[in-house]
Amino acid sequence: MKTIPPPCPEPDNGVKYFRSLEQLSDTPEFQDWASREFPAGASELKDETTRRHFVKIMSASFALAGLGILGAGCRRPEEKIYPFARQPEGYVHGVPQYFATSMPVRGLAVPLLVKSDDGRPTKIEGNATHPDSNGGTDTFAQASVLSLYDADRAQRFTQKGTNANREAAFDFLSGVAKQFSANQGDGLCFLMERSPSPSRARVQGLIKQKFPKARWFIYEPVDFDVQREAATLAAGKPVAPYFKPDAAKVILSLDCDFIGGEEDSHRMIRGFAKGRKISKPGDTMNRLYVVETLMSQTGMNADHRLRVATSQVIAIAAAIAAKISPLLAGLAAKFPLPAGVKPEWIAECAKDLQANPGASLVLAGYRQPLAVHLLANALNGALQNNGKTVEFQEAASSEGSLAQLAELLNGGQVDTLVVLGGNPVYNAPVDLDWAKSQRKAKTVVRLAYYEDETFAACDWHLPAAHYLESWGDARTSDGTLVPVQPLIEPLFGGLTEIEVLARIGGLDATKPHDIARETFKAIAGTDLFEEKWKKFLHDGFLAGSAAKPVEVGAGTNLAALAAATAVEAPSKDKLEVVFTRDYSVDDGRYHNNGWLQELPDPITKMTWDNAVLVSRKTAGELGLKNNQTIKINVGGRSIEAPVWVQPGLADYTLALPLGYGRERSGRIGNFKGGSVGFNAYPLRTSTAMHFASGAKVSVTGATHQFSCTQDHWSMEGRPIIREANLAQFNAHPKFAKNMDMDATANDAFIPKNPDGTPHNIYKHPYESNPALKSQTHQWGMSVDLNSCVGCSACMVACQSENNIPIVGKEQVGKGREMHWIRIDRYYTGLAELEKDKNPLVADDQQQFEKWIDDPQVVTQPMMCQHCESAPCESVCPVNATVHDEEGLNVMAYNRCVGTRYCSNNCAWKVRRFNFFDYNKRPLENLYAGPMATRKNDEWELLKLVKNPDVTVRMRGVMEKCSFCLQRIEQAKISQKVKAGASGDVEVPDGTIKTACQQACPAEAIVFGNILDKKSRVSQLKEQSRDYAVLGFLDTRPRLTYLARVRNPNPAMPDYRELPNSLDEYINKAKNMDPLVEPPKPGAANGKKKGAH
Amino acid sequence: MSDIFPKWTNWLPLKIAIGAVLVGTAATAGSWYYLTPKYSNVGYQPVQPVAFSHAIHAGQLGMDCRYCHSAVEKSWYSNIPTASTCMNCHNQVLKDDPKLALVRESAATGKPIPWVQIHKVPDYVYFNHSVHVNRGVSCVECHGRIDKMDEVRQVQPLSMTFCLDCHRHPENHLRPPDKITDLGWQVDPKTQKQNGEKFKHDWKVQSSQNCSACHR
Repeated sequence: MKTIPPPCPEPDNGVKYFRSLEQLSDTPEFQDWASREFPAGASELKDETTRRHFVKIMSASFALAGLGILGAGCRRPEEKIYPFARQPEGYVHGVPQYFATSMPVRGLAVPLLVKSDDGRPTKIEGNATHPDSNGGTDTFAQASVLSLYDADRAQRFTQKGTNANREAAFDFLSGVAKQFSANQGDGLCFLMERSPSPSRARVQGLIKQKFPKARWFIYEPVDFDVQREAATLAAGKPVAPYFKPDAAKVILSLDCDFIGGEEDSHRMIRGFAKGRKISKPGDTMNRLYVVETLMSQTGMNADHRLRVATSQVIAIAAAIAAKISPLLAGLAAKFPLPAGVKPEWIAECAKDLQANPGASLVLAGYRQPLAVHLLANALNGALQNNGKTVEFQEAASSEGSLAQLAELLNGGQVDTLVVLGGNPVYNAPVDLDWAKSQRKAKTVVRLAYYEDETFAACDWHLPAAHYLESWGDARTSDGTLVPVQPLIEPLFGGLTEIEVLARIGGLDATKPHDIARETFKAIAGTDLFEEKWKKFLHDGFLAGSAAKPVEVGAGTNLAALAAATAVEAPSKDKLEVVFTRDYSVDDGRYHNNGWLQELPDPITKMTWDNAVLVSRKTAGELGLKNNQTIKINVGGRSIEAPVWVQPGLADYTLALPLGYGRERSGRIGNFKGGSVGFNAYPLRTSTAMHFASGAKVSVTGATHQFSCTQDHWSMEGRPIIREANLAQFNAHPKFAKNMDMDATANDAFIPKNPDGTPHNIYKHPYESNPALKSQTHQWGMSVDLNSCVGCSACMVACQSENNIPIVGKEQVGKGREMHWIRIDRYYTGLAELEKDKNPLVADDQQQFEKWIDDPQVVTQPMMCQHCESAPCESVCPVNATVHDEEGLNVMAYNRCVGTRYCSNNCAWKVRRFNFFDYNKRPLENLYAGPMATRKNDEWELLKLVKNPDVTVRMRGVMEKCSFCLQRIEQAKISQKVKAGASGDVEVPDGTIKTACQQACPAEAIVFGNILDKKSRVSQLKEQSRDYAVLGFLDTRPRLTYLARVRNPNPAMPDYRELPNSLDEYINKAKNMDPLVEPPKPGAANGKKKGAH
Repeated sequence: MSDIFPKWTNWLPLKIAIGAVLVGTAATAGSWYYLTPKYSNVGYQPVQPVAFSHAIHAGQLGMDCRYCHSAVEKSWYSNIPTASTCMNCHNQVLKDDPKLALVRESAATGKPIPWVQIHKVPDYVYFNHSVHVNRGVSCVECHGRIDKMDEVRQVQPLSMTFCLDCHRHPENHLRPPDKITDLGWQVDPKTQKQNGEKFKHDWKVQSSQNCSACHR
């Protein structure tokens, strides 16, 4: 009998198969059949013929299903498109939107323009239209977008450690408001971070009115408020300084790392770099004198550097002050000059300052005691700098200190403690025993971004919103009002600080948007308010809101100065310990940020770690070596930490970078269950927050491995970074071209083309086939080594823009870091100390060599040079890397098979290979390959930070700097669409900014069209300082550098006629002195080192 | 020694060699034909959640492509229209028709209609619609006579060869910019070449054949 076969499962896509006409017509009889477990007649399948027939049909259905796999199923998986139901206004998928906002950090803000893709922020840029910004940013701003998508963020409201809901939290906050309305806030204490927000100040003012007995405290583990304190004391009125390094011809830094570790560094870099830019002989440059303990970013760029222990900087300051101001002459006697400091250094430095009245600038660093700041203020006054290179603005005084709050807590006087941000259990001074003290409050409410070390000592824990998710406002250092505008709804329902404050205060307006608007109304006025508000959000600043400079006299507070006492200089048995703000994790707040952890420290080039830095001499006397773990004892407390010998560090000083060794920071900070780096906070007491004396060390016997990206410290006399002093540049402007094997003085033997370029026996494809060379655009880039200060903002910007993954400490140790751009940092020493140096010595012997004591430092950003005759292109077996018509060396990732021959052939080693699928595989288990996947929550979040315009590369593929090809293509497309029939397809100069260029606060990187002779990059390449790294290989790189020019003072005792690297080079390359004019053709061959 | 191998194994190496060549040729030819986009992608015509007919809307009613695909001139991505675009007419025309139930639901609740994507290039290829649509390339060049399709199917392979064929000789495919959405517009090959060359010259069409144009 004929059986009706059961239906087979229908495919969702493709052609619908049917098994029988009954199924197709879906008759009731068929439905009856389909609903039964066995087809009717199954019980009758005793008959052989029927059973075989049945089995045949069944197998046919399996076969058809199998065919389905081969046929319709062979297609790519079905992908869906989900359009909007209603299109949001002004939004087009594929076209990014930009919103102006700002990043508040401590007392200031960085004005930003953030790129938003599909309603989420993906890239941070500076706001170039802000009156006090050139669009540059710093590493922290660039990396902050990754923090937004941090899977370890606080994502929930908790009460006593268990989940609570949002409404319950809000009820609790209203309860607090009610409770303290009854007694005017008695017993209510607020512990906050420093904030530049006028809205917070206004809300605080409203709460102070309602709860006059409430107490307010501010604590920042790294606090720059001393500048305001000193300026207020000196001026006699509440002011804070605003420095203008661009107006200064001579800058004296008293342990002030204004280029890196102080606040507002991106703005200070801009001002400083402006004074360093020169184009032709005769141009003037500024001069930087640095007196410091550590080798800091500012010290890296100094023309003259004096290294003294932190406690002795006051002696230098007093000595210089005595020379300049008769009022302060008596002070110098109290502070004897440290050993080894020449009085001439002081005298000449003072003379140079005095020679430039109103155009000099004296800066004191945050680690220095108040007295040094007062001296700096006095010096600025005496040098007539007030109002010129330093302006003063009205500044509100600070609130109570953490020590005062600890007293209240220990006295049981705190009923409710509200902690807004911060992480005091981790970073409070150890003598306050904060973990216990905080618990002494009856109720502790905290608003924080992570459930960190302080989480356990809180009752209510509220998740904080990232600044990219928040409404608010801030003021930049010049006083201009800037908005904090959210680009995305809080991902995890986080709250902003002003909202929490408003709720606790029981104020009417609790939504941060409304609060910010109210504040704006108070500042900008009510007429045309909506227009002004819209413009404010659009521009990213309120025009005309900069602070008016306040007149300040030239005097100082002699009484406060008189109170300063000298501190004994450190010695071998009484070492001095300095607590420093780390360049990667700040005070510890970025410990869980992968980009910042993997960012090589600008000085030590160390990733994923911190180390105790010591000088060579000190290490030698104490018997310390790199990688040794030592125990450091200060005031009865001790920690263990690994040693690293740092060239240029002051003797008998131990530098301890703060911010590491956190116990509860997240999956990056607590990688593989451990903790990145060591914690220096346990040594820090409230009386010695910045430096402590009387430290002792002992070797524990353990060792620690570091992962540095640059192990070799010396250039070995190779002219990779070329520099000269200003005098040499003026006399021999083309010195940079006269170095190395392709030096102009030496190239008589090289056959030349008519235009002077070396003649190649192989005809370049651009010449043999003109169709291959675009006549519209030819891209090139120029990096000015005079402007580059080595801040590494470009590295993080490139990582953010190009979806560059992090690889983890172990892989960095194998040299597999993925940064497309790196900053090479070399130390150069005095020639007479180096003459016995063996260049073949292993890198771990460098720490013992004498030349590293007082080195000069040179930095150079290194990325793909985009050579016209690229050595990488000719060796690729699959032609994955090619040259395009516009001069770019292009990488087709899908073609690459991973032979790595191109990286082998690249002389600059700028190509990076994906050894593992760093994006998809967990960093702690890379070697498991496809067997391991990341935890789902972090992968979903990490995907959001990726730039959709750039491919995310997989394992086995080579990648490298592409000159931001996505930005180039987008600009070309926009120009072509705009051009229409006009044929005006050339992109105007300045439209395309590569990510590194846009992030650089010093404007050191310039990209553009070299076919356009008027473009900025063409003009820079015309300069006499222009040279190509490894130019003798004749690969014609499109990326050229402008040689560095130092500006030392010939009268200074440590004046050297040549910068160390030039000295090294001339000593090594005996017949290639760039400062000797090339011989006339036909002259004798033997050249002597001529006088210069 | 006795025979270890029977006599017929004498022919085995030759048979294996011939067999390998035949199998290799078949595999190569098979892959060449069946596994390229021209075979696997052309004709792809999935079932869509809403039976939208371009033949009626774009063909019969003469609606311009850009009325719905509004972002094609601004962005790399040509958008599927939002439900509110459909409701512009369909809140009056066929306003209770069961075929449009999903559209009405989407417009009312915001729930997106799960359209099935038909034309897709790999993720490492960055194609930009706006630069093509604004510079003389008609929709029909890549998408075919959509205005005659009741159900959209893919008519061109959209492989790299396909893109390069046009990029190498754009004059064969360029047309006046106001005729972009006129899918039936045609002109004889000689005039096309002439006009195309002029267009290429006047507009400075630089259809890059280099990897950097699409692969980032």
